[in-house]
Amino acid sequence: MNESSQKSLDEQLAILPRDVAPPRNLWPGIAGRLPRSPRRARPWVYAAAAGLAGACVASALTWAVLHGRPAPGAIAVAARALTFDEPRNPRYVAARDSLELSFRERLALLDPATRARIESSLAVIRQAHEDIRRALASDPGSAVLEQLWQSTWHDELDLYDNVVRATQPTMTRT
Amino acid sequence: MLQAAGAMDAAAEPDGLIAAAAGGDLAAFERLYRQFSPRVFGLCLRLTGQREAAEDCTQESFVAAWRALAGFERRSRFSTWLHRIAVHTVLARRRGLRVEYEVAEPATGLPEVADPGSEAPPLDLERAIASLPDGARHVLVLVGIYGFSHAEAAQALDIAEGTCKAQLHRARGLLAAALGLETQ
Repeated sequence: MNESSQKSLDEQLAILPRDVAPPRNLWPGIAGRLPRSPRRARPWVYAAAAGLAGACVASALTWAVLHGRPAPGAIAVAARALTFDEPRNPRYVAARDSLELSFRERLALLDPATRARIESSLAVIRQAHEDIRRALASDPGSAVLEQLWQSTWHDELDLYDNVVRATQPTMTRT
Repeated sequence: MLQAAGAMDAAAEPDGLIAAAAGGDLAAFERLYRQFSPRVFGLCLRLTGQREAAEDCTQESFVAAWRALAGFERRSRFSTWLHRIAVHTVLARRRGLRVEYEVAEPATGLPEVADPGSEAPPLDLERAIASLPDGARHVLVLVGIYGFSHAEAAQALDIAEGTCKAQLHRARGLLAAALGLETQ
């Protein structure tokens, strides 16, 4: 392409309108698909957290039955967590905190070496989660980052679940 | 060449609306949609070459933006961030609907604008752009029309910067030939 034709092409590209109004109002179709607030939990978060909340309720109920007293307040919080709708929802955060508290309580019963390995794993998961969250903030359309971000949530909840489940028989039979 | 008129317009961004929307204010987000949708739709339209696909991608882009807005840390302009979402959306959709894209008639719904002083009607240029091979069209649209740098376009398209430059060269050659500019 010679210089003249290149200039002509540049001139034509330069006058193209960058903005093109959509031929119809697209907002209703967008609004109908929006969750109530940004950064809403993905479906797997609902499933995983609901499962954890359910496990927590079951554990607490077992504990309550075996010890002959009413279920502690954490049960009510965890039960309500079945209806939470996002990771930042206060009820979810409260339930998650409660679950983490149970996790911490169980963790304290383990031997120091095992406890250190679990703490180390949790730190790695949380660091990865934060790193991916930052990357996702600057590249929000990345499917790979999205998948990784979801995986780190899953990993953390799985870790809590595994520790609570693994330590429960010892807790309830002694 | 066209960077000054491209994606990173110097106009002030509506920080208040962005913050409100990030906090869950749907009305604020609708105002952002009103402000930014023409640019997003234009970008999607030229990347896809199809009106209906561009409408879908525009909607999907804003839904994705809403979901990610709470994590938007203002390390780039909101418009730049939004445009990257749009590019990702178009590319993701194209991967899922490749056959449809290949057989569809291009250049439907493209804007018809007055073009005084040019022998070739802009619509011909739009149609020529829409008929470019995907790789060449994507680079031309991002770099040649919307002012992305080669580095930005290469990152958005997940290609090497050298590939981006080569595709732009290819696109310009194909466009020049399609518009009869080679003979000038």
